[in-house]
Amino acid sequence: MSTIAATIAGRAKAAAATRSALSRGGVLALVLAALWGLWEGYRWLWIATGWGWPFAVDDITMPHLHAIVAQLFEPSRTGGPLLISVLFHSAVFTAKEAVVGFAVGASVGFLLGVAISQFRVLQRGLMPYVVASQTIPILAIAPMVVVGLGNMQVAGWTPAPWLRVAVIAAYLTFFPVTVNTIRGLQSADPRALELMHSYAAGRWAVLWKLRVPSAMPYLFSAFKVSATASVVGAIIGEAPSSIPDGLGGAIINFNQYYALAPESLWATNLVAAALGITFFLVALGVERVAVRRAPEHLA
Amino acid sequence: MTATALSRRAQDWLPAALVFAFGLVAWQWLLPDVVHVQRFLLPRFSAVMSTFWIERSSLFAAGWFTFKEALGGFVLGCSTAFIGALVLARWKPLGRAVLPYAIAANAIPIIAFAPITNAWFGLLSPWSKIVISAVLCFFPVLVNTLRGLTSVRPESLELMRSYAASEAQIFRRVRIPTSLPFVFTALKVACVLSMIGAVVGDYFGGSTTALGVQIQSSVALSRYETAWAAILVASILGIALYGSVALAERLVVGWHPSTREHRE
Repeated sequence: MSTIAATIAGRAKAAAATRSALSRGGVLALVLAALWGLWEGYRWLWIATGWGWPFAVDDITMPHLHAIVAQLFEPSRTGGPLLISVLFHSAVFTAKEAVVGFAVGASVGFLLGVAISQFRVLQRGLMPYVVASQTIPILAIAPMVVVGLGNMQVAGWTPAPWLRVAVIAAYLTFFPVTVNTIRGLQSADPRALELMHSYAAGRWAVLWKLRVPSAMPYLFSAFKVSATASVVGAIIGEAPSSIPDGLGGAIINFNQYYALAPESLWATNLVAAALGITFFLVALGVERVAVRRAPEHLA
Repeated sequence: MTATALSRRAQDWLPAALVFAFGLVAWQWLLPDVVHVQRFLLPRFSAVMSTFWIERSSLFAAGWFTFKEALGGFVLGCSTAFIGALVLARWKPLGRAVLPYAIAANAIPIIAFAPITNAWFGLLSPWSKIVISAVLCFFPVLVNTLRGLTSVRPESLELMRSYAASEAQIFRRVRIPTSLPFVFTALKVACVLSMIGAVVGDYFGGSTTALGVQIQSSVALSRYETAWAAILVASILGIALYGSVALAERLVVGWHPSTREHRE
């Protein structure tokens, strides 16, 4: 009996899940259609009336969306592979920089956050600078770091271009993680802290059993910001020193031929956008699995 | 302020001051002389400072050019986002449908679209940087304002309805005041993004009077001191913009616990 009831309940649940997935897919289709309509409508209106403000619309400034998508399936050069496969390889290269940068930046950021929260002196000494670093355009130092590290030689070894770019990604990842780790570690419920103290729990026990778990929601909201930031760091890190293998390099390259083939640049940016959203969705997915108890931090 | 309060304040700031002093010492002597960090990675502090002083007028001219772009983008992006959030909060189903997409749009590397705004408005036109800065500012402000406008306590809404308040009055008296702390959080994020948009947008091409172009060409010409001095200018302007927003926050929402917390 109970198995039948469970099966029925399971089926109802599955049906509800299918329905919500369907309605989500419907909304997605609707939003995409609306964006397409806005783009093509704007394009048509501006071309038909000949308005030059805020900018003149033509096939160069605003190519047809279907032309951009079609460009993905054209050869990137005569006899070469399809643009989409070229861009896929660039995206993998950029993703590698971003993932390595994210992993290093997030670990360093987390450890620094733990250290700062544990020692009051560190908090007083470093916190103002961590906060101040959030108010300056850090991304702007990308050319110096990438070019500078490229001139560096440690015992005849120069960091590979992708590694130099990963440094930028790590740097951008690190600050949000540090700030949110500290905030999260301090957000532990005071009653739980009192309980731990009443059990004479040591500093490390309080840290690992109480503070770190209660920091998880904060940590993951930082990860979502950082995942995106690491992709931005990777793309921008490639751009000024023209590292050709990644998406940033592709953007620089297609930018030079924009007047001839604007669709290629648009297609590259579509892929870059997809990469950013993928990173965000992965962070979101991991969060949903790891932090089940904090629905208010989900979105 | 009593002597004890003064000494306590000094104790609060002493570690930060020590770190600052240590940082300068490390930058000036430890890194170049002991760790042998070369000048292409980080030039000496004194070299950056003297370059900053010698080239201050051209650097600040470039900084001011870029700052105006950033400010234009900040105002344009934040105001459109605020109005957009008001509209989305007024028509809830629309807001609920759009919010996940606005959050996803936040994950797009928007700054990578700088070459496209360059193509739209012309490489040398300030509008190319203003628009990319505006788009960068738009999504965080939209998402946060919308969250603020819709996170009103239901009791407040019921109270307003029981007074037969119109929808416009509810917005003016309840929703907008409740949203302000959220809005200012987003504005602080946006002012940094607007500077990034204006400076980093230059890395994809721009007027030679702009700060980002000067940074990039200085690096290309191995004039690393100039590049770091330009970063210093960008940081000063960034902090100035952030400080003004933080000050406005204190003046406007000084009553809110989140601002009082910062004051301790």
